[in-house]
Amino acid sequence: MIDLVSLAAIVRKEFIQALRDRRMLAMLLGIPVLQIIIFGFAANLEFNRADTVFVDEDRSEESRDFLRGLTAEKTFLAHGVVTVAEMERELRNGTSQVGVVVPRGFGRRVEGVEAATVQAFVDGSDPTRAVAATAALEQYASRRTLEALRGLGGVAGVARVTFEPRLLYNPSLKSRLFMVPGTAASILVILTTIVTAMGLAREREVGTMEQLLVTPIRPLTLMVGKTIPYAVFGLVDVTLILVVGNLVFDVPMRGGVAVVYLGALVYLVSTLGVGLLIATVVETQQQALMVGFFFLLPAILLSGFMTPIEAMPRWIVPLTYLNPVRYFVAILRAVLLRGAGLRDVAEPMGSLAALSLGVLLLSAARFRRTLG
Amino acid sequence: MTALLEAVALSRSFGATKALDTVSLGLHSGELLGLVGPDGAGKSTLLRAMMGLIAIDAGEARVLGVPWEKAPADSRERLGYMPQHYGLYTDLSVDENLRFFASLFDIPKDIFQQRRTRLLALMQLERAADRPAGALSGGMYKKLAIACALLHRPQALVLDEPTNGVDPVSRRELWGLLYEFVHDGMGVLVSTPYMDEAARCSRVALLHQGHLLAHGEPAALVAGFAHDVIEVEGTDRRALEPFLEAQDGVVALTPAGERLRVVVRREVRQQVEGQLRAMGARVVEGRADFEDLYLSLVASRGAA
Repeated sequence: MIDLVSLAAIVRKEFIQALRDRRMLAMLLGIPVLQIIIFGFAANLEFNRADTVFVDEDRSEESRDFLRGLTAEKTFLAHGVVTVAEMERELRNGTSQVGVVVPRGFGRRVEGVEAATVQAFVDGSDPTRAVAATAALEQYASRRTLEALRGLGGVAGVARVTFEPRLLYNPSLKSRLFMVPGTAASILVILTTIVTAMGLAREREVGTMEQLLVTPIRPLTLMVGKTIPYAVFGLVDVTLILVVGNLVFDVPMRGGVAVVYLGALVYLVSTLGVGLLIATVVETQQQALMVGFFFLLPAILLSGFMTPIEAMPRWIVPLTYLNPVRYFVAILRAVLLRGAGLRDVAEPMGSLAALSLGVLLLSAARFRRTLG
Repeated sequence: MTALLEAVALSRSFGATKALDTVSLGLHSGELLGLVGPDGAGKSTLLRAMMGLIAIDAGEARVLGVPWEKAPADSRERLGYMPQHYGLYTDLSVDENLRFFASLFDIPKDIFQQRRTRLLALMQLERAADRPAGALSGGMYKKLAIACALLHRPQALVLDEPTNGVDPVSRRELWGLLYEFVHDGMGVLVSTPYMDEAARCSRVALLHQGHLLAHGEPAALVAGFAHDVIEVEGTDRRALEPFLEAQDGVVALTPAGERLRVVVRREVRQQVEGQLRAMGARVVEGRADFEDLYLSLVASRGAA
């Protein structure tokens, strides 16, 4: 099926061409490192601050104290005390994301130990921030209530049940630790799929395919030979990304390195296979690029890289089973962050291997020995 | 003798265009077969079909007597082919290209070294061995491409427009090489858009819009030419042209410097000449060449 002499010739030729082309080399090795750094810094979902304006309709000692306590939280960056109209404008143009309105009579109610309501407007156009801001507001309110109870000496009489959560694997809940593995999987799929699809399309477009097809080379040899060099570059990229991720973002390597590389290898077989498959349906490099992006965008968005697959509508979930990115993101997170072993990731690894095999067989079946 | 490569009533269309219409042609050992026709005549399509590179709609393409679909695995090793457009890697050097294609044909290292030295010398490419193929001149590139196609010592060599874009000196050298190959018993099939190159072949096939107009030995084809050729000069060409074009007996008309070359039916030659002289023109006897032959064949096909 595969002739080793021809295979070696193709692999050597691909390496010579890739190493000679500076732009290609920069794309293969420089860009992944640059991207992991940029995306690593940018992909920060932590909510740290909300610009907040206050409307104090009560103007009492209590209302001022309540607002002072809120700004002491650091989460809420005071943007001043304003009127209702000004608050609405600030929220609309995005200068502030939270508006807190203390109604008339607030001080009197607190004084009289009555239930008091404070209105809060939160900009919901950024749901992550809105959810976090709302939670922080509620937390502040319940703390104030507890303090008030304690002041009244009633705290002893209340049976308090509290959870004592212990966060595993990522105790400071740094979203970067979560994002970097996803970014790594995305960079690899983009690079290897596009480079393979375009590499074969180029042979067709430039005319070298015509010269190749009059040699006794077998299609499978050509296919495998064209992909081996990029699998090697892909594994080099995995190494670069893991090292940079560790040095710059403190992404740990809690599990076995071998499991990560095994996963990466199986993953690369599938992404390179998709590249080959794309090459069998296009004629030019431009078409390869277009079709490539039609695959890449959904593959990345439906990988669980940004949004959990569990949160997707049920009818979309089966689609993600056909997505190699999904499995590699899962494997990377499990091994890097949770210290999972091969046995722990057997399920995604097995699915990924089956998918890789399927893609490879499909592209081999479609690979033509003629020009048209 | 079995043909090395053969097209049998071969047809192929691209959409509504019939690129090849029931073409039959065979290449034999020890002959230099020329496929002549203008751009778009279907030359490349015919060569690709004969090389088993494209699907065909009807008829058959055979290699050593066997249809391509049933051809033995080693068929490719008996054939050398140079496509019309750049088929080598322009970013690889002359040597790297040679080595790459030698590996694909599984040529042992020591044999490769011998052949490489001989081919580089033959093609006068020794000093360019380290240059990227993309940096070679048109003629040098074609020589390298031919060298790559010869590495595995094929029985048949198929060259798609080897002299196109090549300067006259290199062109003559290329033809010299082809004669050597044929002398050694190889069958060489060459396509060319240049009519004057037809006479250099041992056999020619004239292709026009996917039809084989004629084929045979060049001398015999020209000798069998049914019309006369005259050259007209000495008076205003602008006046002569409309007159000649209106004549039924005039088959083809081509300007040749100051003169007009006229292919004319024998039976009306005297009459046309008389009228031309009456218009003040001088008439000289011309010698029929391939272009006259081709144009007349095209004209008679158009009339039919």
